[in-house]
Amino acid sequence: MKIKPFSYFPFFLIAILLCFFQKNVWADTPIIKIEIRNHLFIPSEILIPENTKVKLIINNLDDTDEEFESYELNREKVIIGKRKGIIFIGPLPAGEYPFFGEFFPKTAQGKVIVK
Amino acid sequence: MLLSSVIIILREVLEAALLFSIFIALSRQLGFDFKWVAWSLFLGLIGAMIYGLNIDAVSQWYDGVGQEVTNALMQLGIYLMLLLYMLLLSITLFSTGRPNSINHKKTLKPALVFIMIIVSTLAITREGAEVILYFFSVTRSENHLVAVLTGMTIGGSIGISIGFLFYYFLSSLNFKWSIIIGLSLMIMVAAAMVSQASLLLIQADWLPSQLPLWDTSGWLSERSAIGQLMYALIGYEATPTAIQAGLYLCGFIVPILLILGLKFKYNLYP
Repeated sequence: MKIKPFSYFPFFLIAILLCFFQKNVWADTPIIKIEIRNHLFIPSEILIPENTKVKLIINNLDDTDEEFESYELNREKVIIGKRKGIIFIGPLPAGEYPFFGEFFPKTAQGKVIVK
Repeated sequence: MLLSSVIIILREVLEAALLFSIFIALSRQLGFDFKWVAWSLFLGLIGAMIYGLNIDAVSQWYDGVGQEVTNALMQLGIYLMLLLYMLLLSITLFSTGRPNSINHKKTLKPALVFIMIIVSTLAITREGAEVILYFFSVTRSENHLVAVLTGMTIGGSIGISIGFLFYYFLSSLNFKWSIIIGLSLMIMVAAAMVSQASLLLIQADWLPSQLPLWDTSGWLSERSAIGQLMYALIGYEATPTAIQAGLYLCGFIVPILLILGLKFKYNLYP
Protein backbone atom coordinates (compact mmCIF):
# COMPACT_ATOMS: atom_id res chain seq x y z
CA MET A 1 0.00 0.00 0.00
CA LYS A 2 1.23 3.47 -0.87
CA ILE A 3 1.51 5.75 2.13
CA LYS A 4 0.32 9.30 1.68
CA PRO A 5 1.50 11.16 4.74
CA PHE A 6 -0.41 14.38 3.95
CA SER A 7 -3.79 12.93 3.03
CA TYR A 8 -5.23 13.05 6.56
CA PHE A 9 -3.63 16.33 7.44
CA PRO A 10 -6.55 18.62 6.46
CA PHE A 11 -8.99 16.62 8.60
CA PHE A 12 -6.62 16.72 11.51
CA LEU A 13 -6.30 20.48 11.14
CA ILE A 14 -10.07 21.01 10.88
CA ALA A 15 -10.57 18.89 14.01
CA ILE A 16 -8.13 21.06 15.93
CA LEU A 17 -9.75 24.25 14.67
CA LEU A 18 -13.23 23.01 15.59
CA CYS A 19 -12.08 22.50 19.17
CA PHE A 20 -11.27 26.20 19.32
CA PHE A 21 -14.50 27.45 17.79
CA GLN A 22 -16.90 27.07 20.65
CA LYS A 23 -18.83 30.00 21.94
CA ASN A 24 -19.07 30.52 25.68
CA VAL A 25 -22.77 31.23 25.91
CA TRP A 26 -23.01 30.23 29.54
CA ALA A 27 -20.27 32.47 30.85
CA ASP A 28 -21.49 35.16 33.21
CA THR A 29 -19.37 38.03 31.97
CA PRO A 30 -19.29 41.30 33.94
CA ILE A 31 -20.22 44.35 31.87
CA ILE A 32 -18.47 47.71 32.07
CA LYS A 33 -19.76 50.78 30.26
CA ILE A 34 -17.57 53.55 28.92
CA GLU A 35 -18.69 56.69 27.11
CA ILE A 36 -16.82 58.68 24.51
CA ARG A 37 -17.72 62.36 24.82
CA ASN A 38 -15.81 65.24 23.20
CA HIS A 39 -13.02 62.78 22.36
CA LEU A 40 -12.64 61.76 26.01
CA PHE A 41 -13.19 58.36 27.57
CA ILE A 42 -15.57 58.65 30.54
CA PRO A 43 -14.58 57.15 32.92
CA SER A 44 -10.99 57.17 31.76
CA GLU A 45 -9.95 54.62 34.37
CA ILE A 46 -11.79 51.38 34.84
CA LEU A 47 -11.16 48.77 37.47
CA ILE A 48 -11.58 45.08 36.70
CA PRO A 49 -10.82 41.97 38.76
CA GLU A 50 -7.81 39.79 38.04
CA ASN A 51 -8.20 36.72 35.78
CA THR A 52 -11.69 37.72 34.70
CA LYS A 53 -13.12 38.24 31.25
CA VAL A 54 -15.05 41.51 30.97
CA LYS A 55 -17.40 42.88 28.34
CA LEU A 56 -16.78 46.55 27.58
CA ILE A 57 -19.68 48.45 26.06
CA ILE A 58 -18.33 51.64 24.58
CA ASN A 59 -20.94 54.26 23.80
CA ASN A 60 -19.65 56.86 21.39
CA LEU A 61 -21.74 60.01 21.98
CA ASP A 62 -19.67 62.11 19.55
CA ASP A 63 -20.65 62.60 15.93
CA THR A 64 -17.22 61.40 14.88
CA ASP A 65 -15.93 57.84 14.75
CA GLU A 66 -13.22 56.69 17.12
CA GLU A 67 -10.95 53.68 17.18
CA PHE A 68 -10.49 52.03 20.55
CA GLU A 69 -6.90 50.85 20.57
CA SER A 70 -4.62 49.24 23.10
CA TYR A 71 -1.29 47.54 22.55
CA GLU A 72 -1.29 46.21 26.09
CA LEU A 73 -4.79 44.73 25.81
CA ASN A 74 -4.24 43.64 22.18
CA ARG A 75 -7.48 45.27 21.13
CA GLU A 76 -8.58 47.55 18.33
CA LYS A 77 -12.05 48.41 17.14
CA VAL A 78 -13.72 51.24 15.30
CA ILE A 79 -16.61 52.73 17.29
CA ILE A 80 -18.84 54.63 14.87
CA GLY A 81 -20.15 58.04 15.98
CA LYS A 82 -23.46 57.89 17.88
CA ARG A 83 -23.14 54.10 18.16
CA LYS A 84 -22.13 51.50 20.73
CA GLY A 85 -19.36 48.97 20.36
CA ILE A 86 -18.67 45.78 22.27
CA ILE A 87 -15.16 44.62 23.14
CA PHE A 88 -14.27 41.64 25.29
CA ILE A 89 -11.09 41.97 27.34
CA GLY A 90 -9.26 39.72 29.77
CA PRO A 91 -8.64 37.49 31.63
CA LEU A 92 -5.59 39.51 32.62
CA PRO A 93 -2.93 39.42 35.31
CA ALA A 94 -2.82 42.36 37.72
CA GLY A 95 -1.41 45.54 36.27
CA GLU A 96 -2.20 48.66 34.31
CA TYR A 97 -3.25 48.51 30.66
CA PRO A 98 -3.43 51.85 28.86
CA PHE A 99 -5.84 52.34 25.97
CA PHE A 100 -6.44 55.27 23.65
CA GLY A 101 -8.59 56.55 20.83
CA GLU A 102 -6.46 56.23 17.75
CA PHE A 103 -8.36 58.93 15.85
CA PHE A 104 -8.06 61.53 18.64
CA PRO A 105 -5.12 60.31 20.75
CA LYS A 106 -4.34 63.73 22.21
CA THR A 107 -7.41 63.66 24.44
CA ALA A 108 -8.83 60.14 24.21
CA GLN A 109 -6.67 58.33 26.75
CA GLY A 110 -7.54 55.87 29.45
CA LYS A 111 -6.44 52.78 31.29
CA VAL A 112 -7.74 49.51 32.59
CA ILE A 113 -6.53 48.74 36.09
CA VAL A 114 -6.57 45.05 36.93
CA LYS A 115 -6.48 44.22 40.64
CA MET B 1 -2.80 66.14 14.85
CA LEU B 2 0.06 65.96 12.36
CA LEU B 3 2.01 63.33 14.26
CA SER B 4 -1.00 61.16 15.04
CA SER B 5 -2.06 61.13 11.41
CA VAL B 6 1.48 60.18 10.38
CA ILE B 7 1.39 57.24 12.78
CA ILE B 8 -2.10 55.99 11.95
CA ILE B 9 -1.52 56.05 8.18
CA LEU B 10 1.93 54.49 8.53
CA ARG B 11 0.45 51.63 10.54
CA GLU B 12 -2.25 51.01 7.98
CA VAL B 13 -0.01 51.36 4.92
CA LEU B 14 2.93 49.34 6.23
CA GLU B 15 1.27 45.94 6.08
CA ALA B 16 -0.11 46.38 2.57
CA ALA B 17 3.21 47.89 1.41
CA LEU B 18 5.14 44.84 2.63
CA LEU B 19 2.77 42.47 0.83
CA PHE B 20 2.96 44.54 -2.34
CA SER B 21 6.76 44.67 -2.25
CA ILE B 22 7.02 40.88 -1.98
CA PHE B 23 4.48 40.36 -4.76
CA ILE B 24 6.10 42.91 -7.08
CA ALA B 25 9.59 41.51 -6.50
CA LEU B 26 8.39 37.96 -7.21
CA SER B 27 6.43 39.13 -10.28
CA ARG B 28 9.57 40.73 -11.63
CA GLN B 29 11.59 37.57 -11.07
CA LEU B 30 8.89 35.51 -12.83
CA GLY B 31 8.65 37.96 -15.73
CA PHE B 32 5.04 39.06 -15.13
CA ASP B 33 3.83 42.49 -16.18
CA PHE B 34 2.50 44.86 -13.53
CA LYS B 35 -1.06 45.40 -14.72
CA TRP B 36 -2.27 43.54 -11.64
CA VAL B 37 -0.92 46.33 -9.41
CA ALA B 38 -3.23 48.88 -11.05
CA TRP B 39 -6.18 46.49 -10.84
CA SER B 40 -5.50 45.79 -7.15
CA LEU B 41 -5.26 49.49 -6.29
CA PHE B 42 -8.46 50.23 -8.21
CA LEU B 43 -10.48 47.33 -6.74
CA GLY B 44 -8.98 47.91 -3.28
CA LEU B 45 -10.04 51.56 -3.25
CA ILE B 46 -13.57 50.62 -4.29
CA GLY B 47 -13.61 47.88 -1.64
CA ALA B 48 -12.34 50.30 1.03
CA MET B 49 -15.05 52.83 0.16
CA ILE B 50 -17.81 50.22 0.23
CA TYR B 51 -16.56 48.79 3.53
CA GLY B 52 -15.94 52.22 5.07
CA LEU B 53 -19.40 53.50 4.13
CA ASN B 54 -21.12 50.36 5.42
CA ILE B 55 -19.09 49.78 8.56
CA ASP B 56 -22.01 50.95 10.68
CA ALA B 57 -24.22 48.16 9.35
CA VAL B 58 -21.38 45.63 9.46
CA SER B 59 -20.67 46.50 13.11
CA GLN B 60 -24.21 45.47 14.09
CA TRP B 61 -23.85 41.95 12.70
CA TYR B 62 -23.48 38.99 15.09
CA ASP B 63 -24.62 40.91 18.20
CA GLY B 64 -22.22 43.79 17.63
CA VAL B 65 -19.06 41.93 16.68
CA GLY B 66 -19.56 42.04 12.89
CA GLN B 67 -16.47 44.20 12.43
CA GLU B 68 -14.21 41.67 14.12
CA VAL B 69 -15.73 38.74 12.25
CA THR B 70 -15.55 40.48 8.86
CA ASN B 71 -11.94 41.56 9.40
CA ALA B 72 -10.98 38.10 10.63
CA LEU B 73 -12.62 36.49 7.57
CA MET B 74 -10.74 38.87 5.27
CA GLN B 75 -7.48 38.00 7.01
CA LEU B 76 -8.15 34.27 6.84
CA GLY B 77 -9.06 34.78 3.16
CA ILE B 78 -5.69 36.47 2.62
CA TYR B 79 -3.99 33.59 4.42
CA LEU B 80 -5.65 30.91 2.27
CA MET B 81 -4.90 32.86 -0.90
CA LEU B 82 -1.24 33.30 0.12
CA LEU B 83 -1.07 29.57 0.85
CA LEU B 84 -2.43 28.80 -2.62
CA TYR B 85 0.01 31.29 -4.16
CA MET B 86 2.97 29.65 -2.44
CA LEU B 87 1.86 26.19 -3.53
CA LEU B 88 1.30 27.20 -7.16
CA LEU B 89 4.62 29.04 -7.22
CA SER B 90 6.37 26.00 -5.77
CA ILE B 91 4.77 23.74 -8.39
CA THR B 92 5.92 26.13 -11.12
CA LEU B 93 9.46 26.23 -9.80
CA PHE B 94 9.88 22.58 -8.91
CA SER B 95 8.70 21.56 -12.38
CA THR B 96 11.06 24.00 -14.14
CA GLY B 97 13.51 22.24 -16.40
CA ARG B 98 11.16 19.32 -16.81
CA PRO B 99 9.33 18.66 -20.10
CA ASN B 100 6.00 20.16 -19.07
CA SER B 101 7.51 23.21 -17.41
CA ILE B 102 6.48 25.67 -20.12
CA ASN B 103 2.88 24.54 -19.94
CA HIS B 104 2.94 24.87 -16.21
CA LYS B 105 4.17 28.43 -16.37
CA LYS B 106 1.54 29.35 -18.92
CA THR B 107 -1.37 27.84 -17.03
CA LEU B 108 -0.28 28.94 -13.58
CA LYS B 109 0.46 32.56 -14.41
CA PRO B 110 -3.19 33.70 -14.58
CA ALA B 111 -3.85 31.91 -11.27
CA LEU B 112 -0.89 33.61 -9.57
CA VAL B 113 -1.92 37.03 -10.93
CA PHE B 114 -5.54 36.43 -9.86
CA ILE B 115 -4.42 35.56 -6.32
CA MET B 116 -2.22 38.64 -6.11
CA ILE B 117 -5.16 40.84 -7.11
CA ILE B 118 -7.49 39.21 -4.56
CA VAL B 119 -4.95 39.42 -1.70
CA SER B 120 -4.00 43.03 -2.46
CA THR B 121 -7.63 44.05 -2.86
CA LEU B 122 -8.57 42.49 0.50
CA ALA B 123 -5.57 44.10 2.21
CA ILE B 124 -6.37 47.56 0.82
CA THR B 125 -10.07 47.17 1.58
CA ARG B 126 -9.44 46.46 5.25
CA GLU B 127 -6.73 49.04 5.85
CA GLY B 128 -8.20 51.62 3.48
CA ALA B 129 -11.61 51.60 5.16
CA GLU B 130 -9.98 52.63 8.44
CA VAL B 131 -8.06 55.41 6.71
CA ILE B 132 -11.29 56.71 5.13
CA LEU B 133 -13.13 56.65 8.48
CA TYR B 134 -10.20 58.37 10.15
CA PHE B 135 -10.00 61.07 7.51
CA PHE B 136 -13.70 61.95 7.62
CA SER B 137 -13.86 61.84 11.42
CA VAL B 138 -10.88 64.09 11.97
CA THR B 139 -11.67 66.61 9.26
CA ARG B 140 -15.31 66.86 10.34
CA SER B 141 -14.61 67.55 13.98
CA GLU B 142 -11.68 69.90 13.79
CA ASN B 143 -10.28 72.32 11.27
CA HIS B 144 -7.02 70.54 10.70
CA LEU B 145 -7.38 69.57 7.09
CA VAL B 146 -3.88 70.69 6.06
CA ALA B 147 -2.19 69.07 9.07
CA VAL B 148 -4.08 65.82 8.54
CA LEU B 149 -3.38 65.70 4.81
CA THR B 150 0.30 66.49 5.42
CA GLY B 151 0.49 63.82 8.10
CA MET B 152 -1.23 61.27 5.91
CA THR B 153 1.14 62.04 3.03
CA ILE B 154 4.21 61.70 5.27
CA GLY B 155 2.92 58.49 6.90
CA GLY B 156 1.96 57.00 3.54
CA SER B 157 5.32 57.93 2.05
CA ILE B 158 7.25 56.33 4.90
CA GLY B 159 5.19 53.14 4.57
CA ILE B 160 5.65 52.99 0.81
CA SER B 161 9.39 53.72 1.19
CA ILE B 162 9.77 50.78 3.54
CA GLY B 163 7.96 48.68 0.93
CA PHE B 164 10.43 49.92 -1.70
CA LEU B 165 13.35 49.02 0.56
CA PHE B 166 12.06 45.46 0.79
CA TYR B 167 11.48 45.40 -2.96
CA TYR B 168 15.03 46.54 -3.74
CA PHE B 169 16.42 44.12 -1.21
CA LEU B 170 14.55 41.19 -2.82
CA SER B 171 15.42 42.37 -6.34
CA SER B 172 19.12 42.64 -5.52
CA LEU B 173 19.29 38.90 -4.85
CA ASN B 174 19.68 36.25 -7.53
CA PHE B 175 16.63 34.30 -8.74
CA LYS B 176 16.88 31.40 -6.31
CA TRP B 177 17.48 33.48 -3.20
CA SER B 178 14.89 36.12 -4.02
CA ILE B 179 12.30 33.34 -4.34
CA ILE B 180 13.42 31.64 -1.12
CA ILE B 181 13.50 34.88 0.90
CA GLY B 182 10.33 36.15 -0.78
CA LEU B 183 8.50 32.95 0.16
CA SER B 184 9.90 33.04 3.69
CA LEU B 185 8.67 36.62 4.15
CA MET B 186 5.32 35.57 2.71
CA ILE B 187 5.04 32.70 5.18
CA MET B 188 5.67 35.13 8.04
CA VAL B 189 3.14 37.67 6.76
CA ALA B 190 0.63 34.84 6.26
CA ALA B 191 1.15 33.51 9.79
CA ALA B 192 0.74 37.08 11.06
CA MET B 193 -2.66 37.17 9.33
CA VAL B 194 -3.75 34.04 11.19
CA SER B 195 -2.54 35.51 14.45
CA GLN B 196 -4.41 38.79 13.88
CA ALA B 197 -7.55 36.94 12.83
CA SER B 198 -7.43 34.82 15.98
CA LEU B 199 -6.98 37.95 18.08
CA LEU B 200 -10.07 39.51 16.50
CA LEU B 201 -12.10 36.36 17.13
CA ILE B 202 -10.94 36.38 20.77
CA GLN B 203 -11.98 40.05 20.98
CA ALA B 204 -15.40 39.07 19.59
CA ASP B 205 -15.61 36.18 22.11
CA TRP B 206 -15.88 33.66 19.29
CA LEU B 207 -12.64 32.06 20.45
CA PRO B 208 -12.12 31.47 24.17
CA SER B 209 -10.07 34.10 25.96
CA GLN B 210 -7.11 33.06 28.08
CA LEU B 211 -4.41 34.58 30.20
CA PRO B 212 -1.38 35.66 28.15
CA LEU B 213 1.27 32.96 27.79
CA TRP B 214 4.17 35.35 28.22
CA ASP B 215 4.98 39.07 28.22
CA THR B 216 7.89 40.29 26.12
CA SER B 217 6.85 43.97 26.15
CA GLY B 218 9.87 44.82 28.31
CA TRP B 219 12.12 43.35 25.65
CA LEU B 220 10.34 44.71 22.56
CA SER B 221 7.36 46.99 23.02
CA GLU B 222 4.57 46.88 20.43
CA ARG B 223 4.54 50.67 20.65
CA SER B 224 8.12 51.03 19.40
CA ALA B 225 8.94 51.54 15.73
CA ILE B 226 10.62 48.13 15.50
CA GLY B 227 7.71 46.58 17.36
CA GLN B 228 5.33 48.04 14.78
CA LEU B 229 7.42 46.78 11.89
CA MET B 230 7.66 43.34 13.49
CA TYR B 231 3.88 43.39 14.02
CA ALA B 232 3.31 44.00 10.30
CA LEU B 233 6.02 41.60 9.17
CA ILE B 234 5.86 38.62 11.52
CA GLY B 235 2.73 39.38 13.54
CA TYR B 236 4.70 40.20 16.68
CA GLU B 237 2.60 40.26 19.85
CA ALA B 238 4.13 40.94 23.25
CA THR B 239 1.38 39.12 25.17
CA PRO B 240 -0.17 36.32 23.08
CA THR B 241 -2.55 33.74 24.49
CA ALA B 242 -2.06 30.00 23.97
CA ILE B 243 -4.70 29.80 21.23
CA GLN B 244 -3.21 32.73 19.37
CA ALA B 245 0.32 31.35 19.60
CA GLY B 246 -0.92 27.89 18.61
CA LEU B 247 -2.79 29.15 15.56
CA TYR B 248 0.21 31.31 14.59
CA LEU B 249 2.40 28.23 14.75
CA CYS B 250 -0.09 26.25 12.61
CA GLY B 251 -0.24 29.13 10.13
CA PHE B 252 3.55 29.08 9.99
CA ILE B 253 4.08 25.34 9.75
CA VAL B 254 1.35 24.39 7.23
CA PRO B 255 2.88 26.23 4.23
CA ILE B 256 6.36 24.95 5.09
CA LEU B 257 5.14 21.35 5.29
CA LEU B 258 3.15 21.66 2.07
CA ILE B 259 6.07 23.22 0.15
CA LEU B 260 8.47 20.57 1.45
CA GLY B 261 5.88 17.90 0.58
CA LEU B 262 5.68 19.23 -2.97
CA LYS B 263 9.44 19.30 -3.28
CA PHE B 264 9.59 15.71 -2.06
CA LYS B 265 6.91 14.68 -4.56
CA TYR B 266 8.61 16.40 -7.50
CA ASN B 267 11.98 14.89 -6.61
CA LEU B 268 10.33 11.48 -6.43
CA TYR B 269 8.25 11.64 -9.62
CA PRO B 270 9.85 14.18 -11.93
